[in-house]
Amino acid sequence: MMTILTETAAADATSSVLAARKAHNAKLSANADKKRAVWFPIAFLAALLVLPALQFTGNYNYVLHLVLFTACYVTMASGWNILGGFTGYISLGHNVFFAIGGYFAGMIFARYGISTIILAPFAGLLCAFVGYLIGSVTLKTRGPSFIISSLALVMIARILFDHWQFVGGANGVALKSNDLSVEWAKLPYYYAFVILAAFSVWASYKIKHSKLGLGLRAISKDEIKAESAGIDTRTYKVLAFAVSGAFVGMAGAIWGEYLTYIRPNIFLIILVSVNMVLMCILGGKGTIAGPVIGAILIIAFNELFVATLGASELNILATGVLMVVVLLFFPLGIVGTLARHHRLPRILNWD
Amino acid sequence: MEQIVQTLILGIALGGVFALMGSGLSLVFGVMRIVNLAHPSLIIAGAYVTYWGFKLWGIDPLVMLPIAAIILAAIGVILYKLVFEKEAKSAKYSEMTVLLTFATAMIVEGALGGMFTNTQRVTSPDYATDAIFFGNVFIPTGQLYAGLASLVIIGALALFLKHSRFGNAIRATTQNRDAAELLGVNVNFVGIMSFAIGIGLAGAAGSLVSFVFSFFPAKHWEWIAVLMSLVVLGGMGSILGTVLASFMLSIVAAFVGAYFGSTWSSMTFFLALFLILLVRPQGLFGEKPELA
Amino acid sequence: MSQLLEVTSLTAGYDDGPAILDGAHLTIEPGKVHCIIGPNGAGKSTLLKAICGMLKIRQGDVKFKGESLKGLRPDQILRKGICFVPQERALFPKMTVRENLRMGGYSLADKSGLERAIDEIEERFPILRERRDQHAGTMSGGQQQTLAMARTLIIRPEIVMLDEPSLGLAPKIVHEMFGIMKMMASEGITILLVEQNALMGLKNSDWGVVLDLGKTLFEGPAPEVLADPRIQELYLGGKKAA
Repeated sequence: MMTILTETAAADATSSVLAARKAHNAKLSANADKKRAVWFPIAFLAALLVLPALQFTGNYNYVLHLVLFTACYVTMASGWNILGGFTGYISLGHNVFFAIGGYFAGMIFARYGISTIILAPFAGLLCAFVGYLIGSVTLKTRGPSFIISSLALVMIARILFDHWQFVGGANGVALKSNDLSVEWAKLPYYYAFVILAAFSVWASYKIKHSKLGLGLRAISKDEIKAESAGIDTRTYKVLAFAVSGAFVGMAGAIWGEYLTYIRPNIFLIILVSVNMVLMCILGGKGTIAGPVIGAILIIAFNELFVATLGASELNILATGVLMVVVLLFFPLGIVGTLARHHRLPRILNWD
Repeated sequence: MEQIVQTLILGIALGGVFALMGSGLSLVFGVMRIVNLAHPSLIIAGAYVTYWGFKLWGIDPLVMLPIAAIILAAIGVILYKLVFEKEAKSAKYSEMTVLLTFATAMIVEGALGGMFTNTQRVTSPDYATDAIFFGNVFIPTGQLYAGLASLVIIGALALFLKHSRFGNAIRATTQNRDAAELLGVNVNFVGIMSFAIGIGLAGAAGSLVSFVFSFFPAKHWEWIAVLMSLVVLGGMGSILGTVLASFMLSIVAAFVGAYFGSTWSSMTFFLALFLILLVRPQGLFGEKPELA
Repeated sequence: MSQLLEVTSLTAGYDDGPAILDGAHLTIEPGKVHCIIGPNGAGKSTLLKAICGMLKIRQGDVKFKGESLKGLRPDQILRKGICFVPQERALFPKMTVRENLRMGGYSLADKSGLERAIDEIEERFPILRERRDQHAGTMSGGQQQTLAMARTLIIRPEIVMLDEPSLGLAPKIVHEMFGIMKMMASEGITILLVEQNALMGLKNSDWGVVLDLGKTLFEGPAPEVLADPRIQELYLGGKKAA
């Protein structure tokens, strides 16, 4: 991706302009660094890494579950953000990658006993490949058409998985749980998800500031102008689709083993997609910290809701209401709204 | 031969019901440029209204139809005022509204689920399980009545749009919003009213759905892609196109179902939607890509 | 007060964008043809859109018979008797010519005479009778412009604003359009014309207004504007045009 500029650098005039530009960029990023507190996400991650020590003092499995559940969604939302946030293509069908990752790793785990944590990167590669294929077709549409085509994708996937006998059809496949004692059983998944989440946040930062990310953001501003400025928009979009699918797929891979079940109605329910979208929009579409904040808030909100009111129907209702409120009143999300008013605290500026 | 005729009849009967389900969606898109993903969930709301009318007081679903339509139209006005009016002037209007309608669909689903649980229901007037036989070929009376009722309503809608003053204003606003405004049409009011009519049509369709299919709150997800395929194939905003597309796709789906199993008949709609969006996004009858 | 319409230090623009009109003023006298000229982007169309209510007035005022039009919707302004024919002609492409004419009378409170009024229009413009059941979108540019102009007559407006009626038409057809415009004027309708072809516009008008950079630079009787050497040099393509 970074093989630009080598030919053009030959021309003196060009290179001097480029050098000036580089200096300017360096100054900008130095300025940006002043507004940023890099220590915060690192400290936050470190705290999460030592958190399981709580288990020595009692049973905190519920806390660990919440953290790893959130981390799973941070991974997915950050992945979705690459397409939906940076590029501006809203997909409501990203849970298809969740399913593909989950089924791929889950089936190999069921047959050969290879841990899904090891398989996760391969699930990511598979999803990137599938995403590349699907993206080269569906990204020919844009706007509402793209959203609708992404919904159609979920419906098609649901029918296929529901009737694919090799993977157990609608009943799915049960996976065996690990033999660790109760207080340590969650630990492998905990670390896997926390590290995966951290990786996805770091990776989306890297992508945002790469040539690819620049191109994607240009596409989201004005695709036609981006194209006339010489950006290969089709390749960029498809790449974004593939990369974002890969993250969701990796999360799916481990999720199946953690639940000891792979089944269409775990992966291919609309709420999974909605959560990714809602987390990004609530936190701030296209920002790095946005999906993280969104994931934390939505999971907390869900837990609170289910704990106090129980019924999952009301949860759907509440999620819908929350989504309407956010879309109508905070379309830029928390990070976006704060940044617009120059009130974004340094610890939340991860861009 | 008999099987072919039978399949054709079932396809046409189903097409009639789908035509009504899709035409409200098409109307709302045509006038308001709102891709209303909540439409199927509102159809299900209409089905519940009809179901309870029948269950509690024994009112025939076809009698409940206008009641359901009016109740849903009122809900439509409320929804418009609460959710869509503010967005009506934003720049990324159509994309934003897709997400808003999606959230609305969740609200409707959650509310219905909270009130009526997720059990499958079906309204069962006598004719719903009856059939008229011609030799070995039969027409299920439920679907026949539903199809006929649907065509009557769509016919009335077409007459209203073509010949009434307000109908003309709706068509004019669909074709050229600015021009309609310049000629004295209060386009905002036309917008609210067409939204109400569109959602009212969802209520009417719900009454028919209540005895043709079994339904539960979450069922609308299946229908979103089905109805979108009809509306997109018909050319977004063209009601006639939607009706023709309904018959075409339902007949194809009936044959796919008859020869490959019923699972794959719904696949017909999803794949069709996919293909149309990619190959001819303006639909069969649209002149320019409306959804781009 | 002989002014029918008075625009004072008007500021307006699109959405959140910059102000296109920045202190424009204009006075319209009844029964005359007024022509606004000026280069591309001067704010000519913007001025018409602000008067008819399609654009929000940011500052200044538009008064019709002494009454402010500020804050009114286009449909309300139309009912006061101000009709606007935009560049795109504002037709309904998939409605028939007759239906388009009928939409022209949408704002009439009294519908009883509508069909007869349409019949009269069709008599005066035989081409519209000939094409009455044809979709408006399938007609030629000149026919569409004829329809758009004729349609305004149905509500007997006091002011008709025409935004570049000559746009994209052959010279012979343009001549016809100006003929229709003059006929409207002879019936006592006040015309406000925006014309890119300044020479042609001024020759067919009584009053000329030069608009540039969102401001009114100059106004006066059309022959005077035509003869003014500064105007000739800047907006009429040099002295030789005279």
